[in-house]
This record gives sequence, C-alpha cells and structure tokens, in this order.
Amino acid sequence: MATAALLENPLRQGLFSDRVPEPCSLVIYGASGDLTHRKLVPALFDLYEKHLLPTSFNLVGISRSKMTDEEFKKHLKESLKQSEPQLSDSLWESFSQNFHYVSGAYDDFKAFQTLSKLLDELDAENGTAANRIFYLSTPPNVFEAIISNLGAAGLNREEKGYARIVIEKPFGHDLGSAKELNRRVKEVFKENQIYRIDHYLGKETVQNLLVMRFANSIFEPIWDRRHVDHVQITACEDLGVGSRAGYYESSGVLRDMFQNHLFQVMCLIAMEPPVTYEANAIRDEKLKILKSIRPFEDRTLSQFAVRGQYGPGYLAGARVPGYRQEEGVNPKSITPTYAAIKVFLDTWRWHGVPFLLRSGKRLPKRATEVAIQFKEPPNLLFKSNVTDLSPNVLVVRIQPDEGITLKFETKVPGMTMEAKTVNMDFRYGTTFAEGTSEAYERLLLDCMLGDATLFIRGDETEAAWEALMPVLNRWETTEPEGDFPNYEAGSWGPAAADQMLEKPWRKWRRL
Amino acid sequence: MTVSAQSIEKDLAELWKAGVEDKAQQLGLQRVYTTNLVAYASDHEEGYRVEQILNDLAEKHPGRYILVRPAADRSEPPLRSYLSGHCLFGAGREKRVCCDLIKLVAQPEIIENLYGFTFSLLMPDLPVEFWWPGDLPYENAFFEKMAQESNRVWVDSSKFKKPVQSLTRLAAFWHSRYPHTFLGDLNWIRIQRWRSLIAELFDGDWSKVLKDIRQVTIEYGEGTQPTRSFFLACWLASQLGWHYLGPRLSEFTDRLTFEATQGNVEIFLKPVPVPDVKRDRIFAVGIATGGGQEGIFTVVRDQDPHCVIARSEVAHKVAFSRTVSFDHLHSNELLALGLKHLEEDPLWKKALAMAGSVLVKPKLTLD
Repeated sequence: MATAALLENPLRQGLFSDRVPEPCSLVIYGASGDLTHRKLVPALFDLYEKHLLPTSFNLVGISRSKMTDEEFKKHLKESLKQSEPQLSDSLWESFSQNFHYVSGAYDDFKAFQTLSKLLDELDAENGTAANRIFYLSTPPNVFEAIISNLGAAGLNREEKGYARIVIEKPFGHDLGSAKELNRRVKEVFKENQIYRIDHYLGKETVQNLLVMRFANSIFEPIWDRRHVDHVQITACEDLGVGSRAGYYESSGVLRDMFQNHLFQVMCLIAMEPPVTYEANAIRDEKLKILKSIRPFEDRTLSQFAVRGQYGPGYLAGARVPGYRQEEGVNPKSITPTYAAIKVFLDTWRWHGVPFLLRSGKRLPKRATEVAIQFKEPPNLLFKSNVTDLSPNVLVVRIQPDEGITLKFETKVPGMTMEAKTVNMDFRYGTTFAEGTSEAYERLLLDCMLGDATLFIRGDETEAAWEALMPVLNRWETTEPEGDFPNYEAGSWGPAAADQMLEKPWRKWRRL
Repeated sequence: MTVSAQSIEKDLAELWKAGVEDKAQQLGLQRVYTTNLVAYASDHEEGYRVEQILNDLAEKHPGRYILVRPAADRSEPPLRSYLSGHCLFGAGREKRVCCDLIKLVAQPEIIENLYGFTFSLLMPDLPVEFWWPGDLPYENAFFEKMAQESNRVWVDSSKFKKPVQSLTRLAAFWHSRYPHTFLGDLNWIRIQRWRSLIAELFDGDWSKVLKDIRQVTIEYGEGTQPTRSFFLACWLASQLGWHYLGPRLSEFTDRLTFEATQGNVEIFLKPVPVPDVKRDRIFAVGIATGGGQEGIFTVVRDQDPHCVIARSEVAHKVAFSRTVSFDHLHSNELLALGLKHLEEDPLWKKALAMAGSVLVKPKLTLD
C-alpha cells in the first residue's frame, strides 16, 4: 500500500520499501512503561532500519514520571541496547532525533493542551502534516480519562491530517465494561479511527492462516464438518505469573488469553472466505463466527469448560512455586491459570465439530499452535496388518518454530502391509531467508498506513465477551470443582480437561 | 564408474540415510528444497569461490544446488561428480535442516552438452535458477541451453571483467533472444539500498524538486570499474525520464550528460582514493538541484563503516538527516534476496535499456 505522497516520488517505484507511511507523530501514553521499552520502541527501530518509518516522524512519550527529553531518550536507548547490543551512537542519535517527552497526569487537561501545542510545533518543524496516532499503553483504568481529554483538546479531529487511537488489551473487563468503553471511545473517535490491538494478529503465522486457507485450493474442500473431527487451539506458557500478579489476579486466563487471542485465532480458522482482503470484509466474517458460538449453559458447563490453577512443581528440573505462593497473589485465590473449553459453532460448515481451546501457565513449554484433526478413513482396508491408524492432522505452529506440519500414514518398507505415521514439515525459519517480523512492528506500520485489517472492531470485542460471560460468571461466583491447585507446575494441566474430550480417539496433543 | 543421474540420486540417498543413522547426533534430519540453483564456474579458483557462496546460501535458501566447472587438465576423467550435504543447526532446533550440492567437473567438450544431464538432476516442480558469475560468454552451448530452459539467469554486472561489452549485449539482445527467461543482476540488488536512501530524500513535497536536478556526483573507489555507479546513474535517468545526449560510449567515462525537461543534467562518475579493500563500492552520492530552491541531497558513507548518512540541505539549512545501518552484503546474501521472488524487476529492465542507450551497440559474436 503506497501512500499518495510516495507515489508522487518516481524514485520510490519498485523499491521493497514502497509500503512507507506518510509523515506522522506517534504519541505513546505510558511511555515509561514496560511495553514501550520492550516492544514498541524496538519495533519502531526495526521499521527505521528497514526504511519503513516515515522520513518525517515524531515520537512523543507521555507518562506521569518527571523527565526531560534527554532523560527519556537515555532510558529508551538503554532498553533498546538490550535487543540491539550493536546499536551505535550515530544510529541512535539519528533514530531518536525527533523524540520528545511530556510529563503529566492522564486526567490533567493542561497536559493535553501542552501536547497539542507541541504537536503543532513539530508539524511545522518536521512536516508531519497533523497526522497523529495516540497509543494507549497504560493500565485500562485510565483509558477513559485519556480519551475524553484527547477529545476536549481537539486532538481527535481530522481537519488537516488523520487522528488515530490505538488501544491495548484488555478491552474491558467483561461485557458491560467493554460496551461502556466502546461507548466512551466512540463519543470521541469514529470507529475507523480506533485500532484495538491484539498482538497475536500481528504474528506472521497467524496471518499465514489466511494465506494457507485462501491462497490454496486443496484445503477448502475438506475444511468442514464432513472431514474435520475436531480442532485444537493451544497457547501454553512455561512461565508463571511473574511480576503481573496484580493484573492477573483480577483477570485470569480467560480474560488474558481466550477473549482475545484464542478466539481471534479460532475465527481465522473457522470463518468463511471474505469477499475481499479488506479490513471490514474480514472483520465481518470473524464477527459471524463469534456470534455463532453456541451459548454455554450453566447446568452443563462442566462438560464444556475446565479450569485449573498450578501448584508447586518442577520446570526444567528446577522447583517452582505454586500460583498461590507467588508474590502478590492471594493465598486462597481461585483465579484460574489454566482453562480448557469446548466450543461449538452453530454454522452450516462447523455444526457438531468441537473447537477445543486451552491455555495455561506453568505448562511444560511455551508453544502456540492450531491442530486440525481429520476424520479417520470410513473403511480400514488394511485390517489384517494395520490395527492402529493415526488420524491425519494438519498443525499450524504459531510460535515458536513457526511452520506447518501434515501428519499422515505411510507404508513401512517390507513384505508386510504395515503403516507408520510420518510428518511432512514446512518451517518458516528454513524456507525463507528473512526472519519473521515482530508482531508490533507489523501492527504499528499498519496503523500508520491506515490498514485496520489486523485490528479488532468494537462489535468483535463485544461478541467475544458475550460468548465468554457465562463461563466467567460461573467461575467467579463458585468455588472450583475439586480443590485448587489441581495441576502441578510442569504438567499439562488438570486431568479433568481430558474428560471433556468425549470420544476415545480425541486426546489433547502433547506439544 | 560411469556417472549417471541414477547413481548420483542413489549416492545422495545413501548420504542422507547415513545422516539419519548418525547415532552420535541422535537428531532428526529434514531435507528442504526451495529452488534449483545451477551455477557455472570457469575454472578451479572460481569454482572454489562459488562453492563457498553456495555453502553460505544453503543456510538462508536451502535448495538443490549444482555447480558445473571444467576439469583442470586433460588428464582428468571426462565427467566426475562430487556430492555434499549441508545441514543447518538452529539454536534449540530438534531437527537438522539439510540440502545438497552436486558438483560436476567435466572436460570442456562434455560441458557443452551437459545441460540435459544437469536438468535430469534438478528437483521437479521447483523453479530453475542459473547463476553465471563471470562475463557474458560468446558462443557457449551450455550457457545457451541453460539460459533458454531456466526460469531465470543471474549475472553480476559489477564483476564483469569487460563490463561495457557484457552490458551492451545484455541490453541489446537478452529479452529478444531469451523471451521466456528472466534476467537478474546481483549488482542491481546491491545498489538497491542506495536507491532506497536516495528515494527517501525526495519523499513528500521534496518530490517537486526532482525536476530541478542539475548535477549528480557518484563517487567510487579509484582504480576500479564504475559499474555500480553507472547503473545507479542509469536508474536515476530512467526513473526521471532523462534522455542521454550522446556520444555512445565504448568505455565508461567520468561524465554523462542527459537532457531533462528543465534543462541538462550532468552525472559525474568520480573515482576517489580510498584505503578500503572493497574499493569497487559506491562511497557517496550527491545530487544538486537548481531552480527556485537550491539544494544538496547526499548519501555518504559515515566514519562508522556500518552506517551511511542521508542528508538534504536546502538554502543552506538542513532539511533532513538520517543515519542508517549499511553493512556490506556478500554474494550469498544478494542471491538469497534475489531468490525470494521469481520475477524480473521492470525497473532493472528500464535501467538496462538506459545503459543500452548510453553504450555503443554490441557485436554479437567474436571477430
């Protein structure tokens, strides 16, 4: 997507960097926070190195801490050195030449007036043409204050350039709060100015789900209830709650992983082909999937959703504490750190096919994948010699070691008709010279280009909350079935998760 | 023993079987092919260099590689083959990712008819890339057939020993003689970052001053052929619609004059003394504009050898300055970049056509 300003430059034609946005200013709220230092600035630096950052670009950091521009830059440089140890002074000076800092409380209107004045000055100095992106990398409890002050300061207006707002998850705490937040944001910004970020959608392999499904003709005919036995979507982590206990205690695994990441991945797997590769066409199809989730019923919930919490255990041979022993966690906490849910989609294509979603902390490894398990052949031809055929499985590994594997049966060489399961592998890392980009790099670039395809629309977030609320309500108002903790750190989760699979041939995959 | 496609495939299968059975490693092994790449080396020395490049390329773009080179002397057998496997050990990977290199060493008269045999060794359904590292040959049957049958031929115009002759021939007849074969030039990929940095200087409102360019200076290392600089000049001229004002050149010159809509543009290819061993590189580009707003737009290598500075100064005021990383790209990296997409860059065709309009028309055969 080359912008008009670039198309006027004939020297840009044919260059790999013709996807360069127009000049703009990026304002980050929560600029002294972890996300800015660990993800956003490294992503901007990668864009800069790839010549994908606009030639005129201002970064304005805002947070409550008192700092000068120079101190702000110094902190950012120190953080960037972690990921870019070879960073030279001249490169840094050039990259950060238009970085600025404004300190102020998020509910202090004067700080927004100061910002507005600064942005006007920077536009005049650097030719950034009043194109502005406001990135909320703050705790959600200050979203509303920032948004309303942006509106009051007139920073939402698009008279000269564009004004966009990027909102980090969590987008709401439940359906009610999500609706309220949507209402508040939309009082100030139009939907096409709002970019709700789910960094999973920025991952190369998640985007590849679309390419795999819709750029190949071999998958689509078998992508339905007639051929697929079930779909497993797994996002597991070996880490515990770490320093995020405060956040995690009030969110738990369902809010942290299911409402956003896992539901979004499920949508990309299950949705119908969109009519075009455009933001709203794709988001319309995802919304249909979210709305087709069969409602969870309270009386049968335990057959469809299993929760867990890790206790002490061993990871890589080292003893690790249980969740309730982690710093900042209530010793009697019932916050789930693991969940497995069985989702049915009431659509023509997927009727009766379970989508098995699971995510947990302190599982044996960090991995995210989608596994589509196909039905067994209707008639086993090689009965006399082959007793145990494995079903075909198509696995899309999202992280790490991104790639696709097809599991199928093949004849073992010899005089007898024996079959053995083999894997056919495609690995990104070994097929493409270029490494996959960081998710934030892609999403920041898309936002600058005005491409909302990989961002979530307001109605999607509400539909996802709506589907999940019965589980959340039940789990937050009742004690867990059996005692917590119910799985050891370093294990694959509670045994109860196996019971919801129903059929003997359905097993959770060992990743 | 007679060399045959079957014997080579059998030996390769044995090679990989041995790899799988390597009990010491206890690791899985995965063969990955993303393309076929046939390379030709004119002698033993070049063969060694090309083999090293292919070894390095295997890490980034695993494929079926075939290297063909003439035997060192007449006492060698008519045709010999050497097989080797290349495995990549990624950090924490459970499997080794491997591909293979088949080296064919043959007497010259055998090579003339070796294209059929070479093709029988290729992986089916994958594109065929043919890399010819040296000057464009006259009357070479192997080149001729490979160029006709491959999907793309790669040359490196900056390595041509007789660049003017080879470039004029490429410009004059490549696309009529091999209409179905793409042509790729590693030199073009090499100067892509210069093009990108120059282009950045003229984004937005600055694109309006492109019509006012009056002078371009491209500095390169003294004592080397200015092929890279020349191509950069041809790219600028072709993108900005300039027309070369003769005379046609049989050797590179230090001054090229073009006609633009607002007057003439002089391009100077300026040799500068540099201590760097890589003297054939471009060291600086300066573009001066006239018209209402006089400006200087430069891209210059920084004192830090890993950086360049792109800068514009208009009316004696700095309008833009950016320092970016600029590490040297080796041939294997250039090839890896080039192999990413199977297509021919239309801009390269335009720049080559511009080169053809500047240089003398070629002789199609040797006298």
